Amino acid sequence: MRSEDSGVSVERFSTPRRLHPASILLGIDVGQIFQWGLVPLVALVTSSGRAVLVLIGLLLVLSPVIRVLDWRRRRYSFDGAELRIESGVLSRSLRSLDVDRIQQIEIRRKLLHRVLGLAAVRVETAGSVSEPEVELRVVSESDARALRTAVRAAKARSRAGVEVDATTDADDAPGAGTDTRGERVLTVPATHIVLASVTGARLLVLPAFVAAAVQLAGDAFDQFAEQADQGIEQLGRAAEPLLGGGPDWVLAALVALVFTGAAVAVAVVTGLLRDGGFRIDRVDGDLHVSRGLLSTQESLVPLARVQMVVIRRNWLRRLLGFATVSVRSAGGSAGAGGSVTVPLVPDAAIDRLLAELLPGVPGVPDLVSHPRAALRRSVVGRLIRSSILVGIGITALYFAGWLGPWTGGALLCLLPLAVALGVLEYLNLAHGTTGLVVASRSGALSIRTEVAPLRKVQAVGGSAGPFQRRLGLSSLTAHVAGPSAQLTIHDAGAARVAELHGWLTARAARPT
Amino acid sequence: MVGGATFGAVALLPIGTVAPTVAAAVFWLCWVIWMPRARLKRWRWRLTDLAIELRRGVFVHHHDAVPYFRIQQIDIRAGPVDRLLGIAELAVTSASAAGSATLPGIPAEMAPELRQELLLRAEASLGDAADEARDAV
Repeated sequence: MRSEDSGVSVERFSTPRRLHPASILLGIDVGQIFQWGLVPLVALVTSSGRAVLVLIGLLLVLSPVIRVLDWRRRRYSFDGAELRIESGVLSRSLRSLDVDRIQQIEIRRKLLHRVLGLAAVRVETAGSVSEPEVELRVVSESDARALRTAVRAAKARSRAGVEVDATTDADDAPGAGTDTRGERVLTVPATHIVLASVTGARLLVLPAFVAAAVQLAGDAFDQFAEQADQGIEQLGRAAEPLLGGGPDWVLAALVALVFTGAAVAVAVVTGLLRDGGFRIDRVDGDLHVSRGLLSTQESLVPLARVQMVVIRRNWLRRLLGFATVSVRSAGGSAGAGGSVTVPLVPDAAIDRLLAELLPGVPGVPDLVSHPRAALRRSVVGRLIRSSILVGIGITALYFAGWLGPWTGGALLCLLPLAVALGVLEYLNLAHGTTGLVVASRSGALSIRTEVAPLRKVQAVGGSAGPFQRRLGLSSLTAHVAGPSAQLTIHDAGAARVAELHGWLTARAARPT
Repeated sequence: MVGGATFGAVALLPIGTVAPTVAAAVFWLCWVIWMPRARLKRWRWRLTDLAIELRRGVFVHHHDAVPYFRIQQIDIRAGPVDRLLGIAELAVTSASAAGSATLPGIPAEMAPELRQELLLRAEASLGDAADEARDAV
């Protein structure tokens, strides 16, 4: 029964198929529009007259024709061993992708996709860096799920030589959710997603947006500021009875409060839209990750392809007992493929999650601290950097005529702060190894713990700057596959790094 | 004559401009003359039983190792100046772009031999590995 279903899945794609006809419109690449639009735009700016109109007219007529031809010529097929994509109107290209090379396969559905029962499929390999190796922009949802299942089954067969559970909901109604019947590894409840949103960088979405808008407004900013001043003045007069004619800073605090409230609301809404319904399932050695409320994203990461796990805790999350966990595969485009981030995991559940992500690894290994010399380097380094900043700040204030006891004192307070951060950084520095993984911890306020399986280490690098050498310290980097994926052990003892270098090289050279 | 003119030009400049200019010139000369020699002196590479190893760096000392088992690609590159000088660059790439090894300025006639040797060692290391472990990524 299982093998029959798997066979049907593959058979469905054995003859070349076109994308969904909606791809004629929905499959337009924004980059392409820019490229096509650039010529008439330049012509429009630099000259005027009939030639430009003719050019624009030609483009308007040609574009739909080319889109239709592109749709007719673009075909994909999968025979259980190779994913083949033929494309191109004038110059033809044929791409064959061996199923064993596939690192990650993703199904993305924007709101419009969901309304129309469509999906986009992205296939990542270890080679792709900035863009996915293959992207089928618009296919029907059932085709997307069936293709993913067929690829998954073929990979598992090739990996273990066994039949896998390929029973799918390939013919299920659109929106049926993930096609897994595996074991639930993790679910992130909505409360945790809200918490992640208000304790992380997402809180900066609104301020960043406002800053960008102000930047774009350029000359209009002065006018805006003037109007804002008037608005605030009016608001002040209106609020006067409420505030009892209080000083301006009360009003400023009120405005800040409203702005903070708006920033929190934007962070929560964007967080829920992006990560709502986050869950991870394990099916036959693959991780199925689903997330998103309006636009959904379903990623499939083969467990055997996990290159590194990164656990991040900023100071706020640490206080609350939570962390963020990123799973890196060798797949390309950073930020999208190649990395799956669990928005918030309770500290108590980290080891269990790690055991699921890296089979055989019971949790973060015991970590050992670094020599006392690392404390000196950390403190002195931060002190030097902050002294330079303080010096520049004081000079700038002096020439601006704003240097006073308060401003100067505030700047000088940065120096003891730098020392405190240096001490914190040293206290968090640690590394550890087991027979299966190497791990490193670093950071002052925001702590980052990296865990990489030894069998995924591709190359080993050691480095020691002049100050490190004077203090008998050294750093070690274990490179794993993927864009800028590496584990770094900072400022360990030079002898220890030399020993680890040899040991890691031997393990990377002869994986077991 | 030229030296006098230069001195005259320098003398016309205020001292605040001369000092940084002279410092920058001395730094640049050191960089151009001393730095390449120092880098060359620090460059060491060797083939061990398991990996190709490099030691390099003047200020920051680096020690890199790319195991033969992890080699994905070997490139030999030689630009026009390299060809004129009879040298070439050999780049050994692993599945990690950052974890690769480059040997610049090796004798051009040595590069193909070295590549062949590396390929042989890479093949031998694959032969030792168990079937499941042969997939390096």
